[in-house]
Amino acid sequence: MASTILPLELVDRCIGSPIHVIMKNEREFTGTLMGFDDYVIDMVLRDVKEYQVTPGGIIETPLGQTLLNGNNIVMLIPGGRGPKAI
Amino acid sequence: MDSQSPEPDTAVNGSTDAGPLAGSPSDFLKNIVGKRVKVRVGNGIDYHGLLTCLDGYMNVALEETEEWVNGHRVTTYGDCFLRGNNVLYISAMEDL
Amino acid sequence: MEQVAAGTISEPLDLVKLSLGERVFIKLRGDRTLTGNLHAYDAHMNLVLSQVEENIHIVDVGEDGTAAPPRIERRGFEMLFIRGDSVILVSPLLE
Repeated sequence: MASTILPLELVDRCIGSPIHVIMKNEREFTGTLMGFDDYVIDMVLRDVKEYQVTPGGIIETPLGQTLLNGNNIVMLIPGGRGPKAI
Repeated sequence: MDSQSPEPDTAVNGSTDAGPLAGSPSDFLKNIVGKRVKVRVGNGIDYHGLLTCLDGYMNVALEETEEWVNGHRVTTYGDCFLRGNNVLYISAMEDL
Repeated sequence: MEQVAAGTISEPLDLVKLSLGERVFIKLRGDRTLTGNLHAYDAHMNLVLSQVEENIHIVDVGEDGTAAPPRIERRGFEMLFIRGDSVILVSPLLE
């Protein structure tokens, strides 16, 4: 009981820290998590990098403060620095 | 199984303001209206424009809209409504 | 209704409301665009258009990536219902 942690508690503990987000398609994001909602896990990130994974390599796009639609999120990696760091 | 109540979420953030939590999606939505934004839709097309307003579905209304495909501006629209299900993200193109 | 009379937009659907009776440009999933007179809409963005021209953009992609000039197939409809889930964009056409 004491050791269990709800999935959204994990996300909540990531606030203020780097996070790596993997989407349904060939797209990934990294950034500092500023907040999220617990409905579809829309999230606000700052210092964002968008990665498009293509056969020719990873295309990287820097973004400002960004609201990411939660509908297409598959995985969240707390502390993750992005596809190039894996 | 007991469902999670919303309290822990607010407690961890420790916000004392009456408004939405700093950094939360609703706080972001409140601050971004009237700003210049980039809206990416699922098929990789970007819409740059002045954010008139948006709602909880991420439906978006833009002014002075430019449609960008592969780094090229292909079309402009005066006003434009974007249906929220197609929106991948809304990114600020200026500081909030 | 007052806000429409005043011409203000407080939520995204107001923009669509202001476009009722106007000629609009619609972008749909599947590389289709429509131009028509907007008769009705609902919260799902289901639409009813009249005097519609549909453009289907077909790009024959070559191996080198530089695609052949896009072909556009055009069709006309007097009256059309559009299911909202395929709508990407609605924009009033400037007069």
